[in-house]
Amino acid sequence: MKKTTRRVPIKDFGSATDVLSPLEPGDIELIHGEDKPPKFREMKPETKEKYDFSLDGISALNLPIPKTKEEEEAIVNGFLRGIEKLFQKENNWTFLMPTTLSNEYCMQCNTCNEACPIYTESGRMDIYKPNYRPEVLRRIIKRYFSKSGKLLRKWAGADLDLNWRVVYRLAELVYRCSLCRRCASVCPIGVDNALISRELRKVFSQEMGIAPENVHKSGTVQHMKTGSTTGMTSASFKDNIEFIEDMIEEKIGRRITIPVDKKDADILLLHNAGEYMAWPENPAAFAILFEAAGLSWTLSSEQMGYEGVNYGVWYDDVQFARIAFAQIQAAKNLGVKKIVIGECGHATKGFITIADRVLVGDAAIPREACLPLLEQIVLSGKIKFDPMKNNFPVTLHDPCNMVRLMGIISPQRNILKHIMPEGQFREMPDAGTNNYCCGGGSGFAIMNSQNFPDWRNNVACRMKARQVLEAFKDVLDPSIPKYYCAPCSNCKGAARDSMMEHFGFRKKYNIIYGGLVELMVNAMVDIPKPFISWEEEF
Amino acid sequence: MSVVQVKGKDVELDEDGFLVNPEDWNDDMVAYFASQEDVTELTENHWKVINYLRDYFKKFGAAPMVRKVCKDTGFSMQEIYELFPSGPAKGACKLAGLPKPTGCV
Repeated sequence: MKKTTRRVPIKDFGSATDVLSPLEPGDIELIHGEDKPPKFREMKPETKEKYDFSLDGISALNLPIPKTKEEEEAIVNGFLRGIEKLFQKENNWTFLMPTTLSNEYCMQCNTCNEACPIYTESGRMDIYKPNYRPEVLRRIIKRYFSKSGKLLRKWAGADLDLNWRVVYRLAELVYRCSLCRRCASVCPIGVDNALISRELRKVFSQEMGIAPENVHKSGTVQHMKTGSTTGMTSASFKDNIEFIEDMIEEKIGRRITIPVDKKDADILLLHNAGEYMAWPENPAAFAILFEAAGLSWTLSSEQMGYEGVNYGVWYDDVQFARIAFAQIQAAKNLGVKKIVIGECGHATKGFITIADRVLVGDAAIPREACLPLLEQIVLSGKIKFDPMKNNFPVTLHDPCNMVRLMGIISPQRNILKHIMPEGQFREMPDAGTNNYCCGGGSGFAIMNSQNFPDWRNNVACRMKARQVLEAFKDVLDPSIPKYYCAPCSNCKGAARDSMMEHFGFRKKYNIIYGGLVELMVNAMVDIPKPFISWEEEF
Repeated sequence: MSVVQVKGKDVELDEDGFLVNPEDWNDDMVAYFASQEDVTELTENHWKVINYLRDYFKKFGAAPMVRKVCKDTGFSMQEIYELFPSGPAKGACKLAGLPKPTGCV
């Protein structure tokens, strides 16, 4: 096994060095077709003076460097107050038990290290180990909340003194974990170090008001204000649906009416709002399939009824609960029997699993993932598919939240068996619950402050790019069109920004990306023209 | 957040350089954004896209779908990128004074 590089003893985590553990582009293992070390943009000196880059030279949070002793103290005190609350049942009503257990039982055996794509793809930087940040937390708890730590300090293993640098570096460090939970899946005793990252994000947001701008201010705050994270209003939603109906007519030669606000339908379908803005062929494909299968379904145009995602999942229980309640209200107003979440991993995790903690009593409307329903449609025989219409190489990405977290593994594969000719579908290495994050998870795909996008593209997204090249290694020739199927909005965003634009897979290898429903519609016998195209259509 | 001086007037921009207050938008701001977004010369075609975005925003309170911009202005995606090198969202919306596009897009 390769060794950890750039060791940083935890007791030095708050040291006054400019950058504690600078990311070294030369340490990063290149992927096929890359001929020089990845580039990270140089930040202007005035930016570096103003904002904290002291963890690894990257800033995801734009934290302004404190100017006075008072500001420094406020940072430390706020953090200690938050940590205290994290372990109180009145203040942590979502994850108290698993957080406590993961915090207490990790033995630092390092089994999780090799499972983490960010650790391995960074050149195995010590600070990126999945068990590094929880150990920082543990030393702080020992030092400030245990009797022996308060009295004996380093003789009791409490050797890390808090200062603003520790707090800010830890805040940045929890945004170097994509919460993919691959570490948790290999832990011999079930410790969930990704949960610790998520819970620390919660401390930073709920107690200190620290969160990435695109996740909080233009994320959950905007969602509550306009009804969606994209700022799509009810009026623009309706206009978008009209546009999608036109698009469907052009594509399939027949107009269908997309049901909106239909009372008492069986299903309320909730898409990630980003689909409407950036990938309207995805909601279009859902509409074609649901119509052809004769389902009783509807979309909602009510504010909070047309956005499925809930960014609170990544960083804040209060924002999470506010959004989940408002979303369920929209479903209740329509009297639907259940909610089905479209191709969005975070929406699936948030609404189906975490929301169980807050949606109780008459708010407990059944909520389901779309993949099993899509499988039922295929198996019902209501729609005729011709697999030869998908006669091109396809590989499948497993969104972490649907697959590793929720165990939805076979539906998408059964579907592919029915809509693809034999030999064209190929699994990528480590497929299934062992698959790797797209690199955009936990907010990374939408976080764009300072030089963070360089870190996302070069480090977080590298493993997925490597896997996709491996899956297509026998057909890389650009004369062969290929399809990277990622049934998740977030994963598609990461694919576009990293795989297509940054690594240039479309130009170099003729790989395009899209969801699963597009492939299904592409194989429908009743539709004369291809639904998927490798040409720029617009 | 930062403040820039454009033709002697202080204007607030967000961290990605988008207008914070929509009422600050005017021709001078378009020229300033053009210089920031590698738009060398503002042509009739640029204004066609900018005016379309502003009209849509006025009507619906949100930015239009990328495909709708192409369809209604008659420009292909590639032509939009030629006009606004950082693209329809980060480029064209900025010049049009719309809020920064957000969410999983």
